[in-house]
Formats: sequence, structure tokens, C-alpha cells
Amino acid sequence: MTDRRRINGPPSGTRPAVFASSLKSASGAATERPRRHRQPNELRKIFLKTGLIPSASGSAYLEYEPSASLAAARSSPQSLIPPSSALKLACTVHGPKPLPRSATFSPNLVLTTHVKYAPFAARQRKGHIRDASERDLGVHLETALRGVIVAERWPKSGLDITITILEAEDDRWWGDAPDSHDAPWGMMNVLAGCITAASAAIADARIDCLDLVAGGVAAIVSDDEAAEEGNSSTPKLMLDTDPAEHKSILSACVVAYMPARDEITEIWLKGDHSKASLGVDDSSLGHEALIDGAVNAARGAHTVLVEAVRESAERYAGLSTSDS
Amino acid sequence: MASSAPPPALTLPPSQFARLQPHAYLLAHLSPPASSNQPSLRANGRQPAQFRPTSANTGSLTHTNGSAVVRVGDTTAVCGVRAELLPTSDIASWSVSHASSDARKRQQNTTTTTKNDDTDADAEESQIQDLHLLVPNLSLSTGCAPGFVPGAPPSALAQSLSHQILGLLHSTRLVRAEDLRVWYQVPTFGGDEEMEVDADAEEEEEGQKGQNDGKEIKAFWVLYIDVMIVSLAGNAFDAAWAAVLAALRDTRLPRAWWDADNEMVVCSEAVAEATRLSLRGLPVASSFCVFEADAAAGWRAVIVPDAEEEKMIEEDQRRGMQRRWVLADPDGYEEGLSQERICLVVDKEMGKTVIVKMEKNGGWAVDGRELKQLVDIAAERWESVKQILEQC
Repeated sequence: MTDRRRINGPPSGTRPAVFASSLKSASGAATERPRRHRQPNELRKIFLKTGLIPSASGSAYLEYEPSASLAAARSSPQSLIPPSSALKLACTVHGPKPLPRSATFSPNLVLTTHVKYAPFAARQRKGHIRDASERDLGVHLETALRGVIVAERWPKSGLDITITILEAEDDRWWGDAPDSHDAPWGMMNVLAGCITAASAAIADARIDCLDLVAGGVAAIVSDDEAAEEGNSSTPKLMLDTDPAEHKSILSACVVAYMPARDEITEIWLKGDHSKASLGVDDSSLGHEALIDGAVNAARGAHTVLVEAVRESAERYAGLSTSDS
Repeated sequence: MASSAPPPALTLPPSQFARLQPHAYLLAHLSPPASSNQPSLRANGRQPAQFRPTSANTGSLTHTNGSAVVRVGDTTAVCGVRAELLPTSDIASWSVSHASSDARKRQQNTTTTTKNDDTDADAEESQIQDLHLLVPNLSLSTGCAPGFVPGAPPSALAQSLSHQILGLLHSTRLVRAEDLRVWYQVPTFGGDEEMEVDADAEEEEEGQKGQNDGKEIKAFWVLYIDVMIVSLAGNAFDAAWAAVLAALRDTRLPRAWWDADNEMVVCSEAVAEATRLSLRGLPVASSFCVFEADAAAGWRAVIVPDAEEEKMIEEDQRRGMQRRWVLADPDGYEEGLSQERICLVVDKEMGKTVIVKMEKNGGWAVDGRELKQLVDIAAERWESVKQILEQC
């Protein structure tokens, strides 16, 4: 089991720290769940910058704006337990480069994607070897990008896309019992971030694309307050959800969307959306509303993407004139 | 503007010349013709002894006890420190006698040698090494440079860097074992009278005393120090070590105690109660490489330099012709062109420079005299890095 190529810790393993406040009461009355201060259709600000890794042919760094609760916790730290987290990831593109001799002939560009969490990215320490969820993210990312790149322009070539996640989104609020949610919702936000960052990095590597593809997330959530007031909790559609801020997410959807062509290259819908009747206009079904919401979120991310790519192009133009 | 004129045929832009003839390119920069009146600069515009601009930022990662991002030129290292608990009950070799002897030694320490705590510390300092309490790992498979395949096991370079960091952490004794211990004061029931009795018969019953009213180690903190080299442009070790140092300076461990009812170690989440690590000194790494004018020097048979050759080189130097250059903080381009590497880790204690580690390999160009000069350069570098780390 031990990894001979890495430095392993104590052979008996270690345990994460247990905080006294989480032991006292199961309800966790001491601290409250962070609340969403944004409008349902308001996205978090995105910091996206290209060209930070000069040895790669293209690179991008993406960071989400910390939520209000996290920002407050940063400025005046009270508790060692962070209320939520904000996505931070770096993406590099190497290539197009010739395929190794052993590879079979390919008339198209061969795309490989790697997504890896840093060991300190999540609340639980991650291993050094890619686990199934990271491989899954890689496959999702590959399908999202395969439809965007004009692959036939580079026969017999390969393109490596590597994403390192320095800080991931939470799957749920830390105060909830571990079994209160079924699905890792944070992965969907991570995938949306990966798609946007990879798209910027591919453009930074000046590889021909049909359009800039952007990732967006929407979710149907049912919050506490409505349920406590007695009326049947009406699920709401929220864009760019931070899973830590919601009691229960019924269903979530992430899309990779190209605005100029109005095309979706990747769609991943999870959870039960059939029960969710979104109130007045029953004509729009749950999943349609979800996809529309995710597309709207992707449109928002696309505006940031365009700015970042323009910056990259300006830098390249500046470089090329000074070179010659 | 000159740049707007079409270039004449058969000339290459500098960037292509650099790729085709890397050695000649760097040599031309370092030894410009005397007529041109240009100073001897490296291809990246730096003086031979000049380091790249360095910046550091700490505490920006949410899920870590301490974190740092250090940029040295285009090399970026992100380091996150995560603390986890190792209960002594999980340690196979841990016995009751061990625990009590610890407590006794600690008591002696606090009573007798409080003053030179800094220099000789406690005898149990080797616990960090024996119990693997510091776990540094460096990852290069982040797409930081084209050569490293992501998803593959760590390359030889990554493994070597991880072990260098581990070795340096142990040899500098940067982290105090005392900071990593979680103590438990065994409650004494009506201990006062017993204490008096014990005081007479302390000699014989010392072992028992340690168990009865002494303190007991219940757990250790294990620090997982993970370094991700996000961008690699040469000299990964300096950047990685600086990131480790900055992250450890930023690390806060929560107050932890043994909860006898639950039979586990619990922590307090209050930031005010958390303690920072008190590190020993501030060792700073500076790396150098030697660039030789003779491109074939690397292929020469390894021989002890004879006096004649040395004389020739010295004579050349007197005439103003340099045959080799020691380049500080090499970037990836320069690293590929030189065989000889020097890594110095220095610290300063009360104005005195202390060499913590010295490593030199790959050639015989640098002798004792030059190494002394390099130590001086490293000491200057120490000052600037100290300033950067204290500001962040």
C-alpha cells in the first residue's frame, strides 16, 4: 500500500483534527450555515488570467470570488473552521506536439485531460494518486472540449491539458452530518471552472476553436425558511450555487456552452428534478429550467472569458512586434 | 523604428538563435566583444550574481493550517501545510515507559535548562524523525513544464527534491518537537500529601511518579507539507524551500487536548487559542550553476585539474577574458547548459552567517575560494528573502 516514490507519513496513519464544537451538539448550534447574499441569478465574480506559466504553450488561472461569509472569516478570523471555500485552479496546455512513435496514426488532434486535486484542496486530505472522481472530471472535461477544438488541423499531434485544483468547492456545509446529502455537488462547480479555465488556456495557446466554451452551473434548491413556515417548500432555481450555502440541493446541472453557435458540448445533470414544480409556469419542466439556468450562468462566465482571451491576444501581439 | 524594417535574408530572430545555438547564445551575452562596450550580462538580462525578483504571499488557501505561494521569477511554488493527529495509541512502538520517561525528561528540562532551550533543545528532538511527523512531498506533475507527464508517478527530480526538503527539515531542526506534542495532565486525586511523600523518595520512585502526576503525551501533530510546483522555469529547490518556509511560518495549530470522556484528542476552533509554530532560525537556500565557455567541458574526462591548466585560466582572467561564470538562481535555459550545480543553505544568527547545507556536484570549477564568495552572496540573499518573508 505504501507509495515508495513519495514520502509517507506515520505507518499507522493519522486522523484529521476533531473540533470540540462539533462534538457538543449534533445540531451544531454554535455556528450558522453561511447564507447566500447574492440574487438567484447573480453569479460570483471570476478572476481569470492567462499566460501565468510561461513554459507552457497556454495557461490560465481561475479563482472564484470568496462568498460573503468566507470573506468575513478571512478579514476577521474567529474560527479555524472555514465556513465555505472558493474555487482556485491552474490550467496548462502543452502542445500541439507530435505524438510518440508508438501511438497509432490519428488524423486529428488527440486530446488528453488530467484533473488533479492538490492534497490540501478539500476539507478531507486528498491522496497523491488520482482517484475515480478526478478521472471522471477529466473525462467530462475532455468531452466538453472535444467539440470545440478544430481537431483536423493538427493530424498526428497531441494536446495535453492539465488542471491542478488548489482549492475546491465544498460538497456540502461542514456542519451537516456527512450523510445528509447524497451527491458531491461541489464537483459540478469544479467542472464548470475547469471548462472555463481550459477554454482560456486553449485560446492562450492559440489553438483554433469554433468558439470560446464556457461552463455554468445551475441548481434547484429548497431552503429551510420556506419549509419552516409551513408551506410546502417551493424549490427555487439558483445560478452558480455554492453548495455550502444551501440546506438541500435537489438537482444540479452543469453545461459547457458556446454562445456564438448556441451549442452545448457537454451536459451533466444530476439529482431528482421531476418533483420540483417551479411554481407558476408549469410549462417549463424541471430539467429544461435547469439547463436554461446553467446556460445563463455560462453566458455570464463567457463575458469574463472574452476579456481574458483579449488580454492574452494583446500580450501576444505586443510580444510578436517587439520580437521581430 | 529599426524593428519595422524588413529583416535581411538569412538572419534569425534572437529567440530562434537561442534555440538553435543555446551555448553560443549565452556565451555571446556573457562575453560581449570588447569593442561593443556592453556589460557582461546573462541572456535574461541579469548580472551573474543577481537573483530573480521574488515575491511571497501567505494564508490564501482555505483548507490549510498554513499556506504560501512563492514566485521566483517564472517559477511558482504553492505550499500547503495540513496538520493531522497521530494518537500515541496508534504508534506500535510507543509504550508506557516511553511516555513516562518523556515526561520526566521534560520536567528536568524545564527546571534546569530553560535558558539554552534554543541551542540544545530537548533530547527527544529526534521524535520528529523517528515518528515521521513531517511529511513533505513535492509534485511536478502539474503541467508545470512540458517534460513532466501528468498523472505519472513522480519523476526522479520530484523524488529527489522531496527528499532534499525532508533532509533539510530534519537537519536544520526547523520545527520544534515540543510544538507538535499534545500533552495530557493526568489528574491527581488528593495528590498533595502524596507529593510530599514522593519528594523524599523521589530517587527510587521517579518512574512511578512520571506515571502518577506527570504529564503524558497523548498525540502528536503530523504536518503534511505539500508543495505543488505550478510553474517551473529553473531552480525549483529554492522556490520550493522558500514556500515551505513561508507556509510553516504561517502555520497555526489549534489548541488540542485529551478528552478523557470521549477518549480522543479534541481541538478548539478558536483562532485566538491557536498557536503558531516557533521555528528555529530562517534557513534560506540559494542555488548557483557554473557556465563554462568551453562547451565540451562537460564531456571532458574527470581529472584533477593540473596546475598548468589552472594557471592558464587565471592568466586569462587577469587579461579580462573570463572562461567560466557562476550564475546565481539559474533559469531553466541556463540550467540546461551547465553541468556544475551548487546549493547553499545559510542562516544568520546574531549577525553571523551559518552554513546549514552545502551541496556541490557535477564539476570541479568552483574551488574553496569561490565557494567563500558564494557564501557571501547567499548571505546577501538571506537578507532579501528575510525581508520578503516578513512582509507577507
